[in-house]
Amino acid sequence: MGIPVSLTVNGAGVAREVEPRLLLSDFLRHDLGLTGTHVGCEHGVCGACTVLLDGEAVRSCLLFAVQAHGHTVATVESLAPDLGGATGAAAAGPGHGALHPLQEAFREAHALQCGFCTPGILMTLVPFLAEHASPGEAEIREALSGNLCRCTGYKNIVDAVVLAARRAAEAA
Amino acid sequence: MIVEGRHAFPGARDVIWGLLLDPAVIAKTMPGTEAMVRAAPDRYEGKMRVGVGAITAAEFDVAVTLADVVEPERYTMQIDGRGRFGFTRGSAEVRLEADGAGTVMHFKADLQVGGKIAAVGQRLLDSISKLMTKQGLDALAREVEARLAAARPGGAGPAPGGGVAPGPERGAP
Amino acid sequence: MRAGPHWLGERVRRLEDAKLLTGRALFTDDVDLPGMLHAAFLRSDDAHGVLRGVDVSAARARPGVVAVFTADDLGDYWRPGPALVPPPPIPGLVFNSATQVPLARGKVRHAGEAIALVVAESRYLAEDALGDIAVDVAPLPAVTDLEAALAEGAPLVHEGFGSNVAAHARQVKGDYAAARGGAYRVIRRRFRYDRGAAAAIENRGVVAAWDAKSEELTVWDTTQAPIPIRNGLAGMLGLRESQVRVVAPFIGGGFGPKIMMFYPEEVLVPWAALRLGRPVKWIEDRQENFYATTQERLQIHDAELAVAEDGAIIGVHDVFLFDTGAYDPYGLTIPINSQCTLLGPYAVPHYDSTFTAVFTNRPIVTPVRGAGRQHGVFVMERLLDLAARELGMDRVEIRRRNFLPPDAFPHDHQILFQDFAPLTYDSGNYGAAMDRAVAAIGYEEFVRTEQPKLRAAGRRVGLGIVSYIEGTGIGPYEGARVTIEPSGAVRVATGVGTQGQGHFTTFAQLVSDVLGMDPSKVQVITGDTREFHWGTGTFASRGAVVAGNAVHEAAVRVRAKVLKLAADALGADERELVLACGSVQVRGDPGRAVRLGDLAAKANPLRGAVTPGTEPGLEATAYFGPARGNAANGVHAAIVEVDPETCQVAIRRYVVVHDCGTPINPMVVEGQVQGGVAMGIGNAFYEELVWGENGQLMNASFMDYLLPTALDVPAVQIEHTVTPSPLNPLGTKGVGEAGAIPAAAALAQAVEDALGGAVEVLEIPLSPNRLFDLLHGGAGGGGHAVSPAARETAAGRGTGVAE
Repeated sequence: MGIPVSLTVNGAGVAREVEPRLLLSDFLRHDLGLTGTHVGCEHGVCGACTVLLDGEAVRSCLLFAVQAHGHTVATVESLAPDLGGATGAAAAGPGHGALHPLQEAFREAHALQCGFCTPGILMTLVPFLAEHASPGEAEIREALSGNLCRCTGYKNIVDAVVLAARRAAEAA
Repeated sequence: MIVEGRHAFPGARDVIWGLLLDPAVIAKTMPGTEAMVRAAPDRYEGKMRVGVGAITAAEFDVAVTLADVVEPERYTMQIDGRGRFGFTRGSAEVRLEADGAGTVMHFKADLQVGGKIAAVGQRLLDSISKLMTKQGLDALAREVEARLAAARPGGAGPAPGGGVAPGPERGAP
Repeated sequence: MRAGPHWLGERVRRLEDAKLLTGRALFTDDVDLPGMLHAAFLRSDDAHGVLRGVDVSAARARPGVVAVFTADDLGDYWRPGPALVPPPPIPGLVFNSATQVPLARGKVRHAGEAIALVVAESRYLAEDALGDIAVDVAPLPAVTDLEAALAEGAPLVHEGFGSNVAAHARQVKGDYAAARGGAYRVIRRRFRYDRGAAAAIENRGVVAAWDAKSEELTVWDTTQAPIPIRNGLAGMLGLRESQVRVVAPFIGGGFGPKIMMFYPEEVLVPWAALRLGRPVKWIEDRQENFYATTQERLQIHDAELAVAEDGAIIGVHDVFLFDTGAYDPYGLTIPINSQCTLLGPYAVPHYDSTFTAVFTNRPIVTPVRGAGRQHGVFVMERLLDLAARELGMDRVEIRRRNFLPPDAFPHDHQILFQDFAPLTYDSGNYGAAMDRAVAAIGYEEFVRTEQPKLRAAGRRVGLGIVSYIEGTGIGPYEGARVTIEPSGAVRVATGVGTQGQGHFTTFAQLVSDVLGMDPSKVQVITGDTREFHWGTGTFASRGAVVAGNAVHEAAVRVRAKVLKLAADALGADERELVLACGSVQVRGDPGRAVRLGDLAAKANPLRGAVTPGTEPGLEATAYFGPARGNAANGVHAAIVEVDPETCQVAIRRYVVVHDCGTPINPMVVEGQVQGGVAMGIGNAFYEELVWGENGQLMNASFMDYLLPTALDVPAVQIEHTVTPSPLNPLGTKGVGEAGAIPAAAALAQAVEDALGGAVEVLEIPLSPNRLFDLLHGGAGGGGHAVSPAARETAAGRGTGVAE
């Protein structure tokens, strides 16, 4: 009864058999154990489930796993691969050097509180920053307008993006 | 939610009356109806499948009970539809008025909609109900035409099989 | 490294962030256990009805379904949940207690009430099976309108009470009726203040696993109160408390509804796990959240303010209705908060406040960030604004005239607060906070120069500035244990949970100061009853105050042990010793030092004798219970522009001056304020639960229930004033709800100002539709256009009623 799907997830090939109606978000979280992607509404509004499909930000709650067959998916776990599964990260002082620069900027700017919406926001911003090297505040807020955050009130997230963009420009 | 209106049909009142209460005609003309039987002289039971926005095929068990029947003038209906995506309940009045060789049907329904369909499809309920009403009336009108044509001597009926009007479309955007 | 306290008040970056940012933090739905089953609940479509029967036979027969339960299948386990908050001892109180049941029996009382539980191999299959269940409900007319609910002949939510009155309470101070006669003006209006869903981005969830060999039950739960849940479940399931472990892991936002306890799902999923011998998981979906998770809703206030000619408040009289929903397990916390918070930072000599809590056929109402304080603040601040207009006074001036002065503390308002003690403010300097806000928003400049200029150019800009009190830091108590391990690492365990407020960092900061180390060396564990099992939970802006002080005290006790042991080990006097960089040193003699870890090892010998009366290791547990809650305060100011055609309101600037006593981490405090303001903006303009006449919720999705986005929330300029609380050693007050509480009041004033007094905003939320109706005299309700004639009042006994 399963449909065979094969795709690349976070750089690794994956092959499974899935029901046609299995959502991509459920496939990533429960079949592959990549629980960094979160589900907030299941109807495509909150953006917490955002992943990259062939480099573009998509809502994994609005896609079926079978639709990802033959494609490339990147989740939040791909941003800091060295920290995957590492222990001793509870006191995250050391080790945060292995964070992706955007994650680093988020930490510095206090751009997360409960952290539930954060992976979706990070994955929305990765392609945005790839295309906008020095975005202004209005552009950033526009880019974020499809991601709901109930904790932060967005200000620090905007600050984090400005910080990350500036650092990327300096490093370039 | 109130659904009301009027529609003119070319047939005589008793012909229209007969069609309105024929379960086979209801099944054919009411959008989304998959089955309709007359379970008792004053009661119809059936299944309907309706799309509302994000819910593409909500299935309902429908029961319609007639009351205050004055043939061929008017009747009221108690409607009770229930399914896993919600319910629709209410009453409707139908009145037929002779108008020359034709008939004018006046209808007014007062329906409550509840459950998932109401919770996520609220913005669409009004337009969906108007769409379904229009589709139903158009289908009924075609059925009336077909029956009348078939009944005419030397009839210009559309097909040798008895002039059955094409089935209704499912009511969904 | 410096010695002495320096982490308190520092903007320490959060220790928990790396885990959250990389997606490695465990949230409840991330729990995956071998053999785990999945639950789904069949919920009532009808808001009110007689439940005549439930046929689950087809559902049970579906492949993949392991069990289906209805109320009858629960046997003795079926019983209404506990009444969580008893009402305060107000004289003459009427209180009718009705609590939620695990599965409906006999009646359904709100849309979304759980009727049956399906457990299956996957959530998808469980939801399929929901469609197999046939429910026979005879619908009854639904109780939705608060006033109609109290009218003769209204349908009854609970027949046994003979009415829909859930509670009735009156608190008085002074003698308003007598004092009113001497008023120069009496301002009277009807206010309608609605709230909505907390809508945390993470929905609720429960995972339960029973280990038959060790006879232990483990429950992961998105709760703000893991300890009471553990104790309650143990009792209900016939287990010892020590057999039950409740873990509140990382939680994606709490905001109040996650401290409602003994939800049907919380009570049934562990029971099912025990019964079926396999782990069971239930995760709420977003639509369910609108029905199955508690929310706050409407209050209707008929309030009047009596003022003297110079603007001094003589008294307030308020009669209000409160929608408690189909059940009232949380008692009267919300309306009492409304009643108390209305008094604000003002001297109010006479107060007469009466409320009736009303049962309706809608989901249960329990606190959502602000917990009824919004309603009280809105009424008082609007009355003051209307009085100022009547008297021709400046709106800042009328507030200043009535502030309690800085030397008025402690100030007893003589009415009872939600912690059952008389409402007493501990400290505050309201004039200073107002001065800061006035300066920060540029009040004088705006009113005198900018606004007239912009108005002349045809732009509708306005300013709103309001003042408020937030009662925080209530008891009963919390506890914490601090342990220094032989490795030198420090471990802190406390019973409260964390839903984003930064406890892993702020508590580490407190300990770091006391023990002289870097916060990154301090590991904080919250929300796991196996680690710490005494306490109540995070709610009412009390975590930092109550648990924080317990953490601090435990660290102080460990420090005392350290000094004693180190004095002995180093042959020095305790007073010569300094704790720094994870060691104890003799001041001025760095060669004589010992590492904390080594001391800890030394304190736990395997051989030899110890001095009688000592304890092993370097560990201490402490509890903190304040004598009563304290009073944080603040001022919100906003400048808005209204588009007269679309009636959209743009917020140009937003300033918050906040006083939460001693801040532990100002970065965390500001995050709470900014986030709170976002919720306040949602409450003011966007968020509204829309109910049909038959109790149907018409917008149970984020498509139609609108949360503010990054385009809707400006950057808030936040300033602090500090009046420490004398009620706890750290001097700290709470801040979690501050941003959300007065926002609608500030924005309402600003909109009125922008429109030059053409409308009165007496209802929240204020959507563009509603504002349009107000401006053009439509049927939108919610205040009214004010004619000059209506503003005439008879001197001395005028009521200023504009109808």
